[in-house]
Amino acid sequence: IKDRNIRVSNGVNADHPVGDGVKAMTQCVTDKSGGKIKLTAFWGGALGGDLQATQALRSGTQEMVITSTSPLVGIAPALGVFDLPFLFANEKEADAVLDGEFGKHVSDMLPNYGLVNLAYWENGFRNLTNSKVPVEKWEDLNGMKVRVMQNNIFLDTFKNMGANATPMAFGEVFAALETKAIDAQENPFVTIDTSKFYEVQNYLSVTRHAYTPFMVLFSKPIWDTYSPEEQTILSECAVVGRDAQRKASRELSEKSLAKLKEAGMKVNELSPDEQNRMREKAQVVYEKHAGSIGADVVKRIQDALAEVRKN
Amino acid sequence: MQGLIDRTFRLLEVLLVGLLVCMVVMVFGNVVLRYGFNSGITVSEELSRYFFVWLTFIGAVVTFRERAHLGVETLVGIFPRAGQLISMILSDLIILLCCVVFFWGTWKQYPINATMTAPVTGLPLSYVFGIGFFTAGGIGLITLARILRALTGRITEDEIRLFAGHGTSEIREHAE
Amino acid sequence: MTIVVFLASLLGSMAIGTPVAFALIFCGIVLMTYMGIFNTQIVAQNMIMGADTFTLLAIPFFLLAGELMNTGGLSKRIIDFAVSCVGHIRGGLGIVAVIAAVIMASLSGSAAADTAALAAVLIPMMRDAGYNVPRAAGLMASGGIIAPVIPPSIAFIIFGVAANVSIIQLFMGGIVPGLMMAIALLITWNILVRREKVAVLPRQPAAARLRATARAGWALVMPLIVLGGIRFGVFTPTEAAVVAAVYALFVGMVIYRELKPRDLYGVLLRAAKTTSVVLFLVASALVSAWLITSANIPAEIGELIQPLIDRPKLLLFVIMLLVLVVGTALDLAPTILILSPVLMPIIKQAGIDPVYFGILFVMNTCIGLITPPVGIVLNVVSGVSRVPLGQVIGGVAPFLLAQVAVLFLLVMFPELVLVPLSWLR
Ligand code: NA
Ligand code: NA
Repeated sequence: IKDRNIRVSNGVNADHPVGDGVKAMTQCVTDKSGGKIKLTAFWGGALGGDLQATQALRSGTQEMVITSTSPLVGIAPALGVFDLPFLFANEKEADAVLDGEFGKHVSDMLPNYGLVNLAYWENGFRNLTNSKVPVEKWEDLNGMKVRVMQNNIFLDTFKNMGANATPMAFGEVFAALETKAIDAQENPFVTIDTSKFYEVQNYLSVTRHAYTPFMVLFSKPIWDTYSPEEQTILSECAVVGRDAQRKASRELSEKSLAKLKEAGMKVNELSPDEQNRMREKAQVVYEKHAGSIGADVVKRIQDALAEVRKN
Repeated sequence: MQGLIDRTFRLLEVLLVGLLVCMVVMVFGNVVLRYGFNSGITVSEELSRYFFVWLTFIGAVVTFRERAHLGVETLVGIFPRAGQLISMILSDLIILLCCVVFFWGTWKQYPINATMTAPVTGLPLSYVFGIGFFTAGGIGLITLARILRALTGRITEDEIRLFAGHGTSEIREHAE
Repeated sequence: MTIVVFLASLLGSMAIGTPVAFALIFCGIVLMTYMGIFNTQIVAQNMIMGADTFTLLAIPFFLLAGELMNTGGLSKRIIDFAVSCVGHIRGGLGIVAVIAAVIMASLSGSAAADTAALAAVLIPMMRDAGYNVPRAAGLMASGGIIAPVIPPSIAFIIFGVAANVSIIQLFMGGIVPGLMMAIALLITWNILVRREKVAVLPRQPAAARLRATARAGWALVMPLIVLGGIRFGVFTPTEAAVVAAVYALFVGMVIYRELKPRDLYGVLLRAAKTTSVVLFLVASALVSAWLITSANIPAEIGELIQPLIDRPKLLLFVIMLLVLVVGTALDLAPTILILSPVLMPIIKQAGIDPVYFGILFVMNTCIGLITPPVGIVLNVVSGVSRVPLGQVIGGVAPFLLAQVAVLFLLVMFPELVLVPLSWLR
């Protein structure tokens, strides 16, 4: 074990549940390496956006990034599978699929792109907020100006529901919602809370339309210079971090939801029937993007889900 | 030779104007589409960004040739001529180093960008990042030629005066 | 120690005349070598990725709008309008200059262009009327630097991108401080001009006034489109910028008919070249910014000034003094780009509102445009008005003091920025 300083880039701020995960992982790495391996975390995109940081990993100029899968679709198209709408129904399904064979299958593709995935953490289920009406059925989205990430699957998901999907940088979303340049945005509860979107949005609809995992990525060129012992420490500790991160994420998600209600947001759940209607309506998106994601990947995850749901 | 170089730069200027006009048309067009027809082209956001990158990095070479990049000449301005010449050579060596690193980095990075596509247009990012070859190469060659002229004593007094901050470029003023 | 390496390589290369953009790349190369992580891809990647931001597209569009306005005769009509309103009162041409500066500030984002336009029209008039010309030139320069504080503002866009702060909020927050700068100038001017013997222009008849207002009306509508459009969510800042450019093109070509198709190429080319100068600088700054962050320099400084972090007002005071000093030697964009990555983590740690800080920071760097020895606006006004630089510096001094006073007033009373900002929110 050598002295290592590992720079960990995070697009989110330190108060995000990823902070808890990084803390647990850092502690674990320090313990196991006798203080020789050091993790230095950078928050709020201080070392560049997630995509830029990931490119830095691929070229070996930076060690680690913890990023959601969505921005990386341009690098590894198969990751688009996690953007498909209404994929996982709940956290249990997500954990089983990601920590199971399918998750490993996806991780195994990444070394081709110069990346090593140490573990799946989570950003959680995404939900819709808007300033106009409680969204109870997909028709309510008709004509609504929704900010989405710049990602074709998200764009199509919302266009398909009749919304006016507008890609926009995250930093401008608050002001755009405030000035009513856009009506709606979609994010996990925690983000809605920490970004104070409740100040400028009235309605929160628990659509759970997407579950974005985070990946704990390591630079392959740098990884290859590490000893097997060092690699094992990092892999094991990423999993220790994962458990802490998911726990924190789920607890905080509950807390955030309560806080959003308290702040006066009108929260509505979708009826199971409507959930199914939306899922069916979204099938077009599956078909349209199966080609770019890889038909076998889409089939594989659907099989994995069927397996999980059987038990 | 000089005539050919001048013509090339005039052509580059036409290219710059073309890129800027396209950016205006794409971004303004999207505003019109959004309010006039309640629709928009997502491609135009991405493409206008890429045009912008090309504009910046092609223009960087054109403006470098005109010494329009911002700098601080207060100190070199009061140097004697020999001091100004030495500073000029040193500073050109620094610029050359920057260009070598930029070019080399673009080269090493090329495969990584070539295998990555833009989210909307699907364009390989090497189209965008490849501009580093042009900028680093262009500025590098201009600088190299200048160093050679300086070392062989063929540099003009006007060039030295310009380096020492006498007679600033109009573009430079607009940049503030 | 890393700080010393950073400063020595940056300042050293700049001192021998290396353009700031290359000095920044060079200091990045030195830093990564010092840290033992030399990798050429760090330079290539950060440069291009940095420029690839949609928000930054507002810069070429606002630059283009400014160029089109000056060529298309909008600036001239704004000054005519101000003359018809207040030209006849004592010291009126100075008041005209300040009013015109504010209106032009709400149309364009660059200080030097506004100053040049103001000085070109007003200095000859003021010379004929018997004003103290160096003082008049000083007023033009200090009026011109309001341009980046009142939106639209290229400086706010650069800061917003470099520091990850909302540009819309910066724009909205800049209005009141910009107006305060103008009021400070008017007060100073009135005190100074009392002792001057100057001719006043004849009062214009109501019809002439109305005509001047109507002709300037097309120009006066533009801030409403840009600011109103952003405020009420019709446009993003980038879209507002492109709308401003198209509007200025329309008014200059169709309404005023001063912009000829054959002028258009030159205007576009100037805007394109200016864009690349500014953006190449931004791109280079992102290389050094990445390494500054990577080397944890802000944390290093944060430890040094830990006692100040618990006293935000004092910290802000010290930072503003530092920026003033840096501003004497360095112009606006480089100052913002070099200092933002170093200062922002400290500002956040001290709990200072980043929008409030950004407004003060940009205002301070604008003041740097009129502080000797390096102040591009001083050079511009000296060139246009044909007053030697030394005399311009003398003329600008009282106004400079007034604007520094406004700056520190805002440090003392953050409410002056934050309260109006909360109305606009
Ligand atoms: Na302005
Ligand atoms: Na200055």
